[in-house]
Amino acid sequence: MSTTLALIIISGIATGSVYALIALSIVIVYKSSEAVNFAAGEVVMVGAYIALFFIVSTSVPYWLIFPIVAIGTFAIGAAFERAAIVPIIRRMSARENPLIPIVIATFGLSLMLKGIVRVIPYTEQVRSLPPLVRGAPIRIGDVMILRADLAIVVISVLFILGFWIFFTRTLLGRALQASSQNPLCAQLSGIPVARMRMIVWGIAGLMAGVCGVLVGPKLGLTPDMGGVIMVALAAAVIGGFSNLPGSIVGGFTIGVLQNLIGYWFGSETIAVAPFIMIMVVLVLRPQGLFGGPVHVKKV
Amino acid sequence: MLKLDNISAGYGAVSALEGVSLEIADGQMVCLLGANGAGKSTTLNCISGVVPLRGGQILLDGAPLAGIKAEEIVRRGIAQVPEGRETYPGMSVHDNLVLGGWVHRRKRSLIRDELDKVYALFPRLKEREQQHAGLLSGGEQQMLMIGRALMSQPRILLMDEPSLGLSPVLVERLFETIVQLNRDGLTILIVEQNAQLALRVSQYGYILENGEMATHGNSDTLRRDPKVREAYLGT
Repeated sequence: MSTTLALIIISGIATGSVYALIALSIVIVYKSSEAVNFAAGEVVMVGAYIALFFIVSTSVPYWLIFPIVAIGTFAIGAAFERAAIVPIIRRMSARENPLIPIVIATFGLSLMLKGIVRVIPYTEQVRSLPPLVRGAPIRIGDVMILRADLAIVVISVLFILGFWIFFTRTLLGRALQASSQNPLCAQLSGIPVARMRMIVWGIAGLMAGVCGVLVGPKLGLTPDMGGVIMVALAAAVIGGFSNLPGSIVGGFTIGVLQNLIGYWFGSETIAVAPFIMIMVVLVLRPQGLFGGPVHVKKV
Repeated sequence: MLKLDNISAGYGAVSALEGVSLEIADGQMVCLLGANGAGKSTTLNCISGVVPLRGGQILLDGAPLAGIKAEEIVRRGIAQVPEGRETYPGMSVHDNLVLGGWVHRRKRSLIRDELDKVYALFPRLKEREQQHAGLLSGGEQQMLMIGRALMSQPRILLMDEPSLGLSPVLVERLFETIVQLNRDGLTILIVEQNAQLALRVSQYGYILENGEMATHGNSDTLRRDPKVREAYLGT
């Protein structure tokens, strides 16, 4: 294996870990509200700009940026649930499906966030966040691993592990799962289902926001960088959409494949790669690599 | 004492309950009978606070429950075992039960004691503690649902068709447990298709027809009533 190829794969793993995290953000919302959050990409973008703001205008250390962005984007997710999802569900009678209005509301949020970011300074020129860590690349044999790439993988894997422990080991995490799996049951056990849904949207916002800080050093910050959601959606589709481990694998797969496709067919093909992968997966295995039997949902 | 005073409820333009009244004294076992779509489940869901009232009121020891959130109703001691196989299928039996005690989550020792009691009542659940709820048999899922409701330490247990889909032997055993729970002091309101069985184990019965209360009386009296026998007991 050539060293270039190794480098490309490693860089793919780094971006893939971020895709995995964004895909998780989309999937947990899907599991709780049955709707795809098309604003997840814009929350990534807002997370990156919050980080940029604090880096440019304050002397806050880099590690402290993470909790700041996490709080900010948790608030965006939770506020959106309160301001949009709650009224939508309240206006629907018990037998109507609120799916379509919710999806449209997420498009609204996406436009709104883009609009808000455009009017603040910092967007006149494309900037990147400084690398998460500096220092000479680590050499393993002939292969060089960038410390920044390593930092991205380590941080996203830590986040993913943290979420896994939270959702499966803590009572609140289990209650969040319960409210998604069987809302009526959860309600009858006294679990405040609406508040749980708000927390899920908040956590989804937090996941996406943190991704903004992680990809910020690799991608240029523009108000349109939310387009990264297409790649995350591809990861979620590959993983079977409602399967959490699946979307993690999907994220890594797509990160690496995308880089390989770019390497073999030219960098302009990178943008098309996720769509091709979505298409291939949907044609060959519509339930995704890890999804259960196919369910057709009529809307 | 739980008292439903002239309650009405519905879904959209459809009215499901019209002026239904019933009373359950502490320690009593009361059954609610009726054909499919008579409004039995809606009645339970109104008590649990998941279906809003359109009229009338529900009183628990004289205090109105209308407008109170579902979680507060559980906290005040009313738990429901819903109809069907309503579990969290992807979670273990243990997690399903622990979540049933959500309203007491701050009192860990209480949850632990209650968990032991449920396992003592249903040793089968203890054996399957770490299994996914979705992999349990129908009878075991019914036990799990009852166990989960008991985890909130209710004074009043609402049960929606516990016999549904179970073999006669399992139904017999399940009802022995239910009668035992009642003897131990739990007030029970049970909705059943199996009217014969429900009237045998309960002290008082109510019969709903098309969302209205058709008749009510002592369970023994109802069992002997020729009209009731013809319409609900198949004799």
